[in-house]
Amino acid sequence: MTSVALYLQRRIGFLERRKQHRRESDEDMDPKLTEITQLFQRFKAALVRNDFDTSSRLLSQLKILLIEFKSLPPLFAETPNAIQEFTLARDIYEHAVVLSVKTEDQDAFERDFFQLKPYYTDVGDRLPQSPQEYPILGLNLLRLLVQIRIAEFHTELELLSAIALENPCIKHAVELEQSFMEGAYNRVLTARQTVPHETYVYFIDLLARTVRDEIAGCSEKAYDSLRVEDACQMLLLSSDQQLSEYIKEEHPEWEVKNGLVVFHKAKESAPCKEIPSLQLINQTLSYARELERIV
Amino acid sequence: MNINQSIDRNRSSFRRKMTQDVEMKEQQAPAAPSNSTSSTTSVLQHLKEIAALIETGAYAREVRRILRAVRLTIALRKKLKASVISSFLGFALAPGSETHQRLSSYLPKDDQNDMEVDTASSATQATVKHSPELEIYCYLLVLIFLIDQKKYSEAKACSSASIARLKNLNRRTVDVLASRLYFFYSLSYELTGELSEIRGNLLALHRVATLRHDELGQETLLNLLLRNYLHYNLYDQAEKLRSKAPRFEAHSNQQFCRYLFYLGKIRTIQLEYTDAKESLLQAARKAPVAALGFRVQCNKWAVIVRLLLGEIPERTVFMQKGMEKALRPYFELTNAVRIGDLELFKTVAEKFSTTFSSDRTNNLIVRLRHNVIRTGLRNISISYSRISLADVAKKLRLDSPNPVADAESIVSKAIRDGAIDATLDHANGWMVSKETGDIYSTNEPQQAFNSRIAFCLNMHNEAVRALRFPPNSHKEKESAEKRRERQQQEQELAKHIAEEDDDDF
Repeated sequence: MTSVALYLQRRIGFLERRKQHRRESDEDMDPKLTEITQLFQRFKAALVRNDFDTSSRLLSQLKILLIEFKSLPPLFAETPNAIQEFTLARDIYEHAVVLSVKTEDQDAFERDFFQLKPYYTDVGDRLPQSPQEYPILGLNLLRLLVQIRIAEFHTELELLSAIALENPCIKHAVELEQSFMEGAYNRVLTARQTVPHETYVYFIDLLARTVRDEIAGCSEKAYDSLRVEDACQMLLLSSDQQLSEYIKEEHPEWEVKNGLVVFHKAKESAPCKEIPSLQLINQTLSYARELERIV
Repeated sequence: MNINQSIDRNRSSFRRKMTQDVEMKEQQAPAAPSNSTSSTTSVLQHLKEIAALIETGAYAREVRRILRAVRLTIALRKKLKASVISSFLGFALAPGSETHQRLSSYLPKDDQNDMEVDTASSATQATVKHSPELEIYCYLLVLIFLIDQKKYSEAKACSSASIARLKNLNRRTVDVLASRLYFFYSLSYELTGELSEIRGNLLALHRVATLRHDELGQETLLNLLLRNYLHYNLYDQAEKLRSKAPRFEAHSNQQFCRYLFYLGKIRTIQLEYTDAKESLLQAARKAPVAALGFRVQCNKWAVIVRLLLGEIPERTVFMQKGMEKALRPYFELTNAVRIGDLELFKTVAEKFSTTFSSDRTNNLIVRLRHNVIRTGLRNISISYSRISLADVAKKLRLDSPNPVADAESIVSKAIRDGAIDATLDHANGWMVSKETGDIYSTNEPQQAFNSRIAFCLNMHNEAVRALRFPPNSHKEKESAEKRRERQQQEQELAKHIAEEDDDDF
């Protein structure tokens, strides 16, 4: 099976190269452009194979080669091949983003996404729209949600046009954020079934972890005690063993007694509450100062 | 001299005029042809007086004269015609000069009749010294005229030329005129939809203004840049610019109001609602009564921010004079949030979706959904001591496949956030509300009093700072006649301000 797949891959690669060669021999193409295109093909092949080391190495080489093109940001010079260069650069960065998701590297995702963004915003109207644009935008929104950077989530949301908001990938992320803010966490967890794109799975798993922490925080304030089975079900842990491990790691102040998880709510402050004396002193002094200034 | 100065002082301390830069009122050129010649000459007379004022101000380096000149121009704005302007240009600038030719090319050709009258009058005029301020003033006049006549592409060209001319001048007296020019420059590009082109220029101008310590120019340009970024929804970049730009005491009330409004908008999108509410309400308060469009916008955003904070604005906010119709969608929205009914909220949001999208508040309305649920929950928790979760889900009208579980998690989150005071019982599936204690025994009243006291004291301090006195008043004793004259002028001034409406800047 694998030998057939390998053979097919090689055949496809050969055919593509031949097609490209024919295309190239018609136009007078820049040698730099050809070199980078070939490297890009190898990078794509490595990515499909899930060969992360080769792909990262090739990606660094590609990025160095891209610097030599003057038409790309931040220089934006006008060259005859500008459109091709833009399309090529955009494809490269899109694949870089996919790679960072596969290697589960969030910092790399952020870097590559920021480099990709000008191709959508500034140059976007000169190029045909990339099919990957909306999935990648949705991925970014999801990443911000997982890291609970809600302010940036909303800032990004403002930049999207009304058409973009109709797209299923983006709508999915927006609805997730709404459910998260409202507190309907089970809706968030069931959303795993409805991912619009397979690259989303990684972030949805991360989100599940965040949600679990949130649910734990809410439960300890809302309930006096919970049965162990209910606790497992709400926190999405599959056994008592996992539950006790989770409690030991995250919430050592909870107790497990008689098949019940008891949350020790912080006792309400004692009948004689402290007077916030420092604050009162400051306020009264400022009143005295201002009153004295009134002529 | 003294009289002029005292009028300036009083006027500047009561200054309260502002552009409706959100809804520009249409300016019509004056209609009646019969008294055109007489009104033309009187307008021309006014313009000549203004020119003289600018000259003396430039000579004596008094910025206040120039300010006054600009204010008088704005009053004349409605009466400007092409013939008037071309004759004024002939008077103010040396006829053969490049500036004169350039500016005249922007104006449409007028008929013979007016030309004769003008040549006659100009022949009898004494020659006027041509200072750079006067030149810039001519640019400004032509620009105002073009924009009022809706000739936006020519306005663009004219404003770009004026910006180029400004680069060589570095005089404080020009700053006032320059800041108006920047404003119209940005406006002409905005009206043709090409704001992004001038962003680089505005940034360069801001740098130059900062180097020259031109504070009014800095303020104006910062506001224009913020407006530029917010027009394209680039909130991130706007915030970065705003946080790094140098801040100082506001020179112009109108610019300060605009700054507060833009700040409020940025803070709202970044989810910092308390700061946003403060800025927006301050902007709405400081704005002059004449700036209706601006105040409507401030109030719209302020209403939404207050809803997002969980407080319901009172009915009087929506009943302010002149704003009822514009605020009607927001009034219905507030109603839906107050009742806590999700269905009603959805219908209102759909009904007025066009209004909301034109105000760019659509995304904020979406965020309100969560507030509706919270308010509904709060009502339920106050009215019931114990209620089953299934009933809670039914009352909230959550449309979801698994309402009880949803309701449970929503309630637990609300409890954690401190919105309601209750406990959940999972086994029996109900929510038990706690007794709400006596609020007067806590620190709450003291905090509320403190915020009000601080606000009043702040207001008092700002008013004291804004007072200005004539510099020599403590030296000379005012004779009875002078006092009478001054009082008469003050009365006229107050009447003038009360009558004036629809003013620019």
